[in-house]
Amino acid sequence: MAFLDRTARSMLLMELVSGLGLTLRYFFKPKVTINYPYEKGPISPRFKGEHALRRYPNGEERCIACKLCEAVCPAQAITIEAEPRDDGSRRTTRYDIDMTKCIYCGLCEEACPVDAIVEGPNFEFATETREELLYDKDKLLANGDRWEPELARRLELDAPYR
Amino acid sequence: MIDFLLNHPVGIVILTFMKALALLVPLLIGVAYLTYAERKVLAAMQLRKGPNVVGPFGLLQPFADALKMIMKETIIPSGSNRLLFLLAPMLTFGLAMLAWAVIPVNDGWAIADINVGILYLFAISSLGVYGIIIAGWASNSKYAFLGAMRSAAQMVSYEVSMGFVLVSVLLCVGSLNLTDVVRAQTTVWFAIPLFPMFIIFFISALAETNRSPFDLPEGESEIVAGFFVEYSSMSFALFFLGEYANMILMSAMTTILFLGGWLAPFGIEPFTWIPGPIWFILKICFCLFVFLWVRATFPRYRYDQLMRLGWKVFLPFSLAWLVLTAGALLAFGWLPDV
Amino acid sequence: MPKLTIDGIEVEVANGSTVLQACEAAGIEVPRFCYHDRLSIAGNCRMCLVEIEKTPPKPISSCTYPAAEGMIVHTDTPMVRNGRRGVMEFLLINHPLDCPICDQGGECDLQDQAMGYGMDHSRYEENKRAVKDKNLGPLVKTVMTRCIHCTRCIRFIAEVAGVPDLGATSRGEHMEVGTYVEKALGSELSGNIIDLCPVGALTSKPYAFTARPWELSKVDSIDVFDAVGTNIRIDSRGPEVLRILPRINEDVNEEWLADKGRFALDGLKRRRLDKPWVKEGGKLVAATWAQAFAAIAGKLKALAGDRIGAIAGDLCDAESMTALRDLMVALGSANLDCRQDGARLDGSRRDFYSFNTSIAGIEEADAVLIIGANPRKEAPVLNARIRKTWVNAPIPIGVIGAETDLTYDVTHLGGSPAVLSALHDGSHPFAAVLRNAKKPMIIVGQAALARPDGSAILAAAWRLAAEIGALAADWHGFNVLHTAAARVGAMDLAFLPGAKGKNLDAMMGGGVDVLWLLGADEFDTSRIGANTFVIYQGHHGDAGARRADVILPGAAYTEKHGAYVNTEGRVQHGFRAIDPPGDAREDWRIIRAFSDQIGHKLPYDTIEAVRARMEQINPVFSRVGFLPRFGCTDLSGPAGDPAAISDAPIQPAVANYYQTDPISRSSVTMAACTEAASPTLVAAE
Repeated sequence: MAFLDRTARSMLLMELVSGLGLTLRYFFKPKVTINYPYEKGPISPRFKGEHALRRYPNGEERCIACKLCEAVCPAQAITIEAEPRDDGSRRTTRYDIDMTKCIYCGLCEEACPVDAIVEGPNFEFATETREELLYDKDKLLANGDRWEPELARRLELDAPYR
Repeated sequence: MIDFLLNHPVGIVILTFMKALALLVPLLIGVAYLTYAERKVLAAMQLRKGPNVVGPFGLLQPFADALKMIMKETIIPSGSNRLLFLLAPMLTFGLAMLAWAVIPVNDGWAIADINVGILYLFAISSLGVYGIIIAGWASNSKYAFLGAMRSAAQMVSYEVSMGFVLVSVLLCVGSLNLTDVVRAQTTVWFAIPLFPMFIIFFISALAETNRSPFDLPEGESEIVAGFFVEYSSMSFALFFLGEYANMILMSAMTTILFLGGWLAPFGIEPFTWIPGPIWFILKICFCLFVFLWVRATFPRYRYDQLMRLGWKVFLPFSLAWLVLTAGALLAFGWLPDV
Repeated sequence: MPKLTIDGIEVEVANGSTVLQACEAAGIEVPRFCYHDRLSIAGNCRMCLVEIEKTPPKPISSCTYPAAEGMIVHTDTPMVRNGRRGVMEFLLINHPLDCPICDQGGECDLQDQAMGYGMDHSRYEENKRAVKDKNLGPLVKTVMTRCIHCTRCIRFIAEVAGVPDLGATSRGEHMEVGTYVEKALGSELSGNIIDLCPVGALTSKPYAFTARPWELSKVDSIDVFDAVGTNIRIDSRGPEVLRILPRINEDVNEEWLADKGRFALDGLKRRRLDKPWVKEGGKLVAATWAQAFAAIAGKLKALAGDRIGAIAGDLCDAESMTALRDLMVALGSANLDCRQDGARLDGSRRDFYSFNTSIAGIEEADAVLIIGANPRKEAPVLNARIRKTWVNAPIPIGVIGAETDLTYDVTHLGGSPAVLSALHDGSHPFAAVLRNAKKPMIIVGQAALARPDGSAILAAAWRLAAEIGALAADWHGFNVLHTAAARVGAMDLAFLPGAKGKNLDAMMGGGVDVLWLLGADEFDTSRIGANTFVIYQGHHGDAGARRADVILPGAAYTEKHGAYVNTEGRVQHGFRAIDPPGDAREDWRIIRAFSDQIGHKLPYDTIEAVRARMEQINPVFSRVGFLPRFGCTDLSGPAGDPAAISDAPIQPAVANYYQTDPISRSSVTMAACTEAASPTLVAAE
């Protein structure tokens, strides 16, 4: 019987038909993808996107050139040079991130003792030339100024878990 | 003017040319939208959206692709045979277009309503393998050559059983003219009495057009892209167009041989209100949908499985069914008048 | 020699050792902040707690506890660990959490030990102490809030440097380390307190905030700013030398480094010669190497050997002097000199021009006579060794020359070398002191030799040494203290006038037609004859380059492998830390390349081959780093008539410690030091 049953099933292409049935059912299911450039998915507060250098509310840059991010960076994408500023405080004269080297691991952010370097929610920073992805301090500070409300919010949301 | 077109030799040539254009332009647009449909259907079955950025619902995507293809550089490999390398895609594309000469879109609406239409179709579709073999050989690349070999073996294998399927249909019709084939289905579509043949024909059509699950000549995961691995730009596009035109052709053949061509289902109202060509196109679209549906459902065959299916299952089965059909026709006196 | 058991390991230590020293002898590391093996014991950080059996059951600070026979010490018991944790917590109460902006971060004792004994949070919620920063001059930056009161800096400055500038005021939490009245540190060894400070309270001012220790590549080298041959480590990042630290070498510098060697490195980046220059129509024009070589070759072509001369400078490596000497010999010239200051050095025997007692040997001396030298300015690290000897046992030290503070008590015998004859005939009271000493030392400085009667003073000093028993089979008490790092090497290579050769004075004023200056800037270049064609090969645009007709850019000491012979005659190798700037090349390679140009190709292509050639000239070059102690049996002295000594007082050889050579003259830091040390000197210039 089992042989007959099996033969009949294979002759009638039962497996194929059930497979086709499955795909047909999926054909009518609601789609899980979103219409990306026009709609965007939700992003976790921990999302590791484009880097930014933050400032204090009084406009003073946070970075103190401790170089921990440079040291921890597994891709060695960060280059920092520092010297005393005129007021004697420790500041960077150069803060470069090679975004083409960066692997977006977020270790710089974790290493930073003053929450200066952060990875923001922005992931749409593709450029037409490679050179534009070699970020310097001005670019990073500009990023920080642009995204500050969101950066502050996501740090606040993530604070309980740190 | 009409007189000139119908009677003057030059007029006939011009008229034929215009007829061909009237068929081929919609066909090529159809091919373009078949690529779009394929992406949309596959996406839907994989719970994705598919192309949706270029134009409303991504409807202009095929044109964007075409533009991209045209803009790209045609790369001719240094070790290739330049002439054959460029000839192969033209051949494939040309043959895919050529077959359409005998397809009747409606009663009498065929460019060449010849009395050996089926044979012509069969001959032309068999020639398609040359484009592929030439492409594989002229590329001077291992992958391309492997792809071409697979393709040739596969086409030869499945054309045998396909031939038997055709013969069984011919037995029921008593004519090689495609219009006659459709007309013979006025009472009942051949898909119903010859259902197993219909299935074999459709599956063989999949193999014949190198479609999934028989897309071994391309086999992008094993031999990269098979016979057209070295092709780029428009030469690649011609292969692509040829393949999709062949899909439409095979769908048209399925429609004509088994699904009653332009005939409305069951010949009853309100279906008969809709003109024949629309039915014809709808049936083709259904077949094409099944093509895509199958692609979304089944994984690729292993090569030995493909060969086993062709020679050890389809060939004996179709032969047996042919004998059965012939016997039944003879026994019940249903043989058509010739 | 008590025997102790430490964590089950039995060790025997010298009498008077402490438990901590015994632990070190057993190979067990005991954490400490205030204890330092070259400073006196203070016992105020309490970090070195251990447990000792059969004592009251409490943790004992091991650095102050004398080791005794049969002691059983445990360094890793719960009590010890808890005790150290407690001490660490107390230390961290007032230590700010500013590691990210602290230059010590990454090489901080407190950081390291907090990893072992610190907590991950603080229980201290009150306000932290804050202390005003002190201004200790242009070299040492202070952040006194970070100070943990280990008093290492105070002890170093008072004990080793011998300048009682630093001290502590108030007690307990209010204790502050400072200079009482604000002033710059008056020591030439002040940079060492940066190394000693276990936290970031004292850091380097010029190096402030520039780099982290993990970014630096470290290369061993030799200091060239004095003739001590201090072992240094050059820390560089990319094309830049960022800082210089001392290496430990017990025979030479212990672990100290003089300020000039430590801080003059910013001079390496300024006023550099980075491409060849050729004088055309009275003006120097930038040129290629080929053009520069062609200009020299054209000048040398039709010239007799004795119309060509070469002078080696004070910072040269032995390799380049070897190459230049060989080139001059090939050209047929015997006009060589390395004594830019005109010192009447006698090159006929090695012990006539070297510091024979050796620096470590100073500690054995029981009487010292310093003739025309100011070791504090000329060799601060060597001076610290004399002071160390004097602190251990106050030996009599006599000085002939200018009266200065040498950081130890001296008997000033007079400003003029004429007093030597009084010492010789015994009429001077100090003569008896020297005669009664078992191991007397005589140190002759360059100030005494760079006089017209220099060779007379040298001969008189030798005669005195022979007489007071300083020259014995097991003790060589005759010493020449050099100021130039290259000088002994040049003497060893016989970079001196050969047979019928002209010395520096004879080469001046048109004595030669072509003069090759190998980094020679320390003589009056205006004395060179107006028609003399001057080739300057060196790294800085200084006096020599200003006079030059052709400039060949060479490498500074950080940019080349080089052998240097210190004043003792100890051969030491320095390694290349960075590349020379621009088109500049290693000096011996320049000479080697040029020799090919004029058809006298020198027979070496690698540094090893050059060194083989050096060994051929003088076998001492094969003895790298090691210096055997030797006595003196041949009492015949250097040439010179001791009676020809004049009465003129000896002028100091080093007027301004901070600016003695092209590098330190280019250094901004050294200029600031000069200003801080003697504002009047700068104003006078």
